[in-house]
Amino acid sequence: MRAVIGGYAIRIERRADVRWWQTALASVLAILVSLFLVGIAFVRVGADPLEVYREIVNYAFLSQFGLPQTINRATYVLLAAFAIIVPLRAGLWNIGMPGQIFAGTLAAFGVAYAFGAKTASATELPGALVVPLMLVAALAAGAVYGAIAGFLRGRFQVNEIVTTMMLNWAMLWIVAHMIREGGPFMGRTAEGEGFTLPTSLRVPQAFGLPVTVYATVILALLLTWFLAKTTLGYRIRTFGESPRAAEYAGIDATRVSTLVFALGGLFAGFAGFHYFLGVPGVYKIPKNYGDLGDFSFYGLITGLIARNNPIAAIPVAILFGGVSGGARFMQGKLRLAFGIDYALLGVLMIMMVAFQALAQFSLRIERAATVAATQVERGESRVESPHH
Amino acid sequence: MSNLLIISLAAAAVFAIAALGELLEQRAGILNVGLEGVMLLSGTFGFIAAKTSGSYLEGFLVALLTGALVGLLHGFFSITLGSNQVVNGMAIWILGFGLTTYIGYPYTGPLGLQPFPTIAGFPVFFLVALVLAASLWFLLYKTHLGLKLRSVGENPSVAEASGVSVTAMRYLAVVLAGALVGLGGAVYSLVYNPVWSYNYLQGWGFIALALVFFSLWNPFLIVAGAVFFGFLWQLSLYPELLFPNVFSRYIWRAMPFLITIVVFVILSTRWFRLRWGATKPEALGVPYQRES
Repeated sequence: MRAVIGGYAIRIERRADVRWWQTALASVLAILVSLFLVGIAFVRVGADPLEVYREIVNYAFLSQFGLPQTINRATYVLLAAFAIIVPLRAGLWNIGMPGQIFAGTLAAFGVAYAFGAKTASATELPGALVVPLMLVAALAAGAVYGAIAGFLRGRFQVNEIVTTMMLNWAMLWIVAHMIREGGPFMGRTAEGEGFTLPTSLRVPQAFGLPVTVYATVILALLLTWFLAKTTLGYRIRTFGESPRAAEYAGIDATRVSTLVFALGGLFAGFAGFHYFLGVPGVYKIPKNYGDLGDFSFYGLITGLIARNNPIAAIPVAILFGGVSGGARFMQGKLRLAFGIDYALLGVLMIMMVAFQALAQFSLRIERAATVAATQVERGESRVESPHH
Repeated sequence: MSNLLIISLAAAAVFAIAALGELLEQRAGILNVGLEGVMLLSGTFGFIAAKTSGSYLEGFLVALLTGALVGLLHGFFSITLGSNQVVNGMAIWILGFGLTTYIGYPYTGPLGLQPFPTIAGFPVFFLVALVLAASLWFLLYKTHLGLKLRSVGENPSVAEASGVSVTAMRYLAVVLAGALVGLGGAVYSLVYNPVWSYNYLQGWGFIALALVFFSLWNPFLIVAGAVFFGFLWQLSLYPELLFPNVFSRYIWRAMPFLITIVVFVILSTRWFRLRWGATKPEALGVPYQRES
């Protein structure tokens, strides 16, 4: 596209290849523009947005109460991002994190329930035995619930976006069945929430954080190694780049898609284990579990911004874990409507996509004199394919 | 029982109208997986407009306009910028979910207008859906414009060579489709269940998307599928009408979603997949770049 304005020509062209720093810059710009746009909500109630963001940073990253909360939320987001990243490496979309998270969470609470955690007093239960069992149950249930979508995709070409979403909503109601109106996991006192874990069955802490936080960092490293260095990781990538080529190379579509979704679900199950069994003050399936499930969609944008790289996802998850928590804090302080963090999520997502798309174009302003020359050149090279 | 059937048709209208919109744009080669987001945005803005003005007409107009604009936005990403349509659709969905959660929250609660009129108890919008299905079928298969719309979804470069502007046709499709999906969202939030709450749409946009995949791009099969899902949904709300005392009411609520998956699997026979592959718009989801 070319437009001439007053002796200067503006040319917009599709870049042949987009450099990594161009995508990184696009992501940073997207985040800044989104924060600016969401700032409008603060201006509307008469607050100074810069002041609000300063308070958000102070609360989320510098305060004694806010920082652990930020880290815990970031861990949850990061694990949800892994749940997106692994299938996306194979070109498949897993938006079933909420469902897989609660599959894992229910399984973990199920083990606790089987050991009588709902009734027994805290001291009677051998945590060293039961907690690992709960962890295994959470990972297995998340993986199995995830694998359903992957298997159906591989075996029957059923659209995985629809399946994972259907599984989310089904799980939402299954959780309701378990914790509400006399459901087996219903808490003894409060109506509509799950029973609280006895002290001995909670995820142990180290240096003021649940050990699941440290485990997640190790998982990021392991996942990077797995995706980059192992044969399976290579197969997943090959399949993602071209399912047909992968087929010729003898890679089984059903196995790959089941595997990536099982692995994604495993991470999601671990996210549930971390948040609902490890974060101080939670230790149960709370009333607003649906809201917390939807919070995992921050993992989607984290995975996309990190360009499917588990290590790059760490700072992004910390940023979003902090900003979303801080925004909730300010929401209460400024008496804003519920969901300012979700508004940010929505704006971020659309801005990210917009900026990533725009990064594929170059904009050049030239003196009209040079335009004539380039036009000749353009006229000669008309060999591009209609399909990008 | 007859009540159950009638209200099922009211639910079916929502599924059908939204899915017909998606069908239209898919026929022109544009895949929007963010139906849920379009419906949330138009349903919420329509709800707010109707609630504050007290007028259904205003609510529907706002919803149609919102849908068309969101369709245009998705179109801009998918047609002009030519980026991955699945990612664009995801973005539309998350945008819809995020923005409406915040913007709609102060309007939580019932619409507070007289219930939308019916024809002797029969849901008006089911008739609208039938008319829309017939019109869409006529437009796509019996008119020159329809041929042009379909041609850009099958083979854009051939269409372009024969003088059809792929860009213009696809923009027309996304705007019309957006308005239709927006209407579907408004039928949900203003007529079928006029109460705003967090994430009130409950995945209906995704069920409508699934319907398009089931339908082999046939508008009448969409309506039939919509009736099935409408019935299923109502049954899940009032299971005691057919199956008293089986499962808790929450497990029933999970049923429509699980059954959607089961239907997917049952339909995935070799025969269906071959038919599906043959009917699928050849260029669905493929960005097109004109040779300049």
